Amino acid sequence: MNAIPPKPTIDLATGHTVRRYDEELAKLRGIIIDIGQRVVEQTQAAVIALIEREESFAYRVLDREPLIDYLSLDADEEVFRMITRRQPTAVDLRIVLALSKIASEAERAGDKVVRIARQVLELLGLDIATELLPDGLKTLMLELDDKACSMFDRSIHAVDSFDVTLSLAIFEDEPKLYHASNEVRRLLGESSQEQMTPRQTVGLLTIAHALERIGNHATTIAEQVIYVALGQDVRFRNREILIDTLRHHGY
Amino acid sequence: MSATIATMEKATGAMSAAELASARHSRETVGDFTTANPRMTCRDVDVWYGSKQAIKGVSLDIGKNEVVSMIGPSGCGKSTFLRSLNRMNDTIVGCRVTGSIKLDGQEIYDKGLDPVPLRARVGMVFQKPNPFPKSIYENVAYGSRIHGLTNNKAELDGLVESSLQKAGLWNEVKDRLDQPGTGLSGGQQQRLCIARTIAVSPEVILMDEPCSALDPIATAIIEELIDELRQNYSIAIVTHSMQQAARVSQRTAYFHLGDLIEVGETNQIFTNPQHKLTEDYITGRFG
Repeated sequence: MNAIPPKPTIDLATGHTVRRYDEELAKLRGIIIDIGQRVVEQTQAAVIALIEREESFAYRVLDREPLIDYLSLDADEEVFRMITRRQPTAVDLRIVLALSKIASEAERAGDKVVRIARQVLELLGLDIATELLPDGLKTLMLELDDKACSMFDRSIHAVDSFDVTLSLAIFEDEPKLYHASNEVRRLLGESSQEQMTPRQTVGLLTIAHALERIGNHATTIAEQVIYVALGQDVRFRNREILIDTLRHHGY
Repeated sequence: MSATIATMEKATGAMSAAELASARHSRETVGDFTTANPRMTCRDVDVWYGSKQAIKGVSLDIGKNEVVSMIGPSGCGKSTFLRSLNRMNDTIVGCRVTGSIKLDGQEIYDKGLDPVPLRARVGMVFQKPNPFPKSIYENVAYGSRIHGLTNNKAELDGLVESSLQKAGLWNEVKDRLDQPGTGLSGGQQQRLCIARTIAVSPEVILMDEPCSALDPIATAIIEELIDELRQNYSIAIVTHSMQQAARVSQRTAYFHLGDLIEVGETNQIFTNPQHKLTEDYITGRFG
């Protein structure tokens, strides 16, 4: 009996005999990358709205969010069309299934951005005597935003080339994301009522939680990238062992 | 058996990504060609047409109560290999088979072995339905007559009925058994040929693209029949329809230029093949 190693990163250089199939796969992937890039841009815009007290940025996020929903519907339509017309198998099947899940994850990340924008607008509308975001908290919130956006941005880049190495780097950043999120929570917990109103605390906690969830969506996307590239479902696996194993194999 | 990342986690001396890439392009058969309960065992089988080698050292088991599908591009040797399983290639001048092919432990290419009873034990259904120019009844009864399997008319009637029932054709033809088999529809003719094969009590049924001349409804009926026949027979099927291979078989073997490139559980072959050639073929990237 032959022992079969897991496959190296997939090689999609050889196109399909039916070229339209390649175009359809590229179109589906393009839609998802578009959704992902919009999520990153709008997350940054929503956090800038909070930091700079700039309402227009938050409104812009709310205005643009339906586009993510429409793109997600487009992705679903492409998935249905490809399953019907092409009956994908092997790596193509994994790509179509994974892209369908990734589209859903990216759309849900878009919902988190809307949650952030709404909270920002509510916070900006509060009549408070104190600073909306004290300096220490501002720095921590920016760090959390930076971590979440960086993870999400790289997850979308990983989708572009089904890059296992990049996916592992996203997994490796997960503890840093939780650390940044915990730091925000810790500081909010330590704030006295004189420094911050309860409504303000709840709003900022909600924003921190939404940013953490955006980072979580990035790790879920990275799992799907590994599923496509290696044909192995790595959900619910011990992350540290998984990273060690794949790093050991040269990824 | 496909090694998962979980097994790699436990393994020591694991391969590097470069070694993995090399294995993925190798021409060694990838996957487990053996089965726990084999009916036929083929080892290092070479088939030559004159100086041209059509099959190169293929090893593969056909298990009891399983359907093995053989897929691959035209000229890859899948039909040649199938035909070597009941010595159909013996009739081709210049064809030479080496290696070992055993049916229930008996070497089928032994010089003393008569190929005629062998072909009753390992029956064959062809691409194009080929009923004899005889009645429906006689088509099914013919094999039993020449092999002397029944003792009287009543036994023969019973055999014809049970064979047509197993082939899912009895209810459609029971009132016109004396009519020519060639008068049936294409799908019915193919099921008549299957009934004819079953009538001589084979252990293995070989099918060479049995549905390629049939419409989707007739194809579905044959596929349903294949699934039922699996309860009693071993089946090896050559097909150009990968969807058909995925639907009817438990194991799939991919051939390429005479090599058996990969064999494995059908689900694994169609969702996560290990060899690049297999993946390229079943995803339609074969140039």
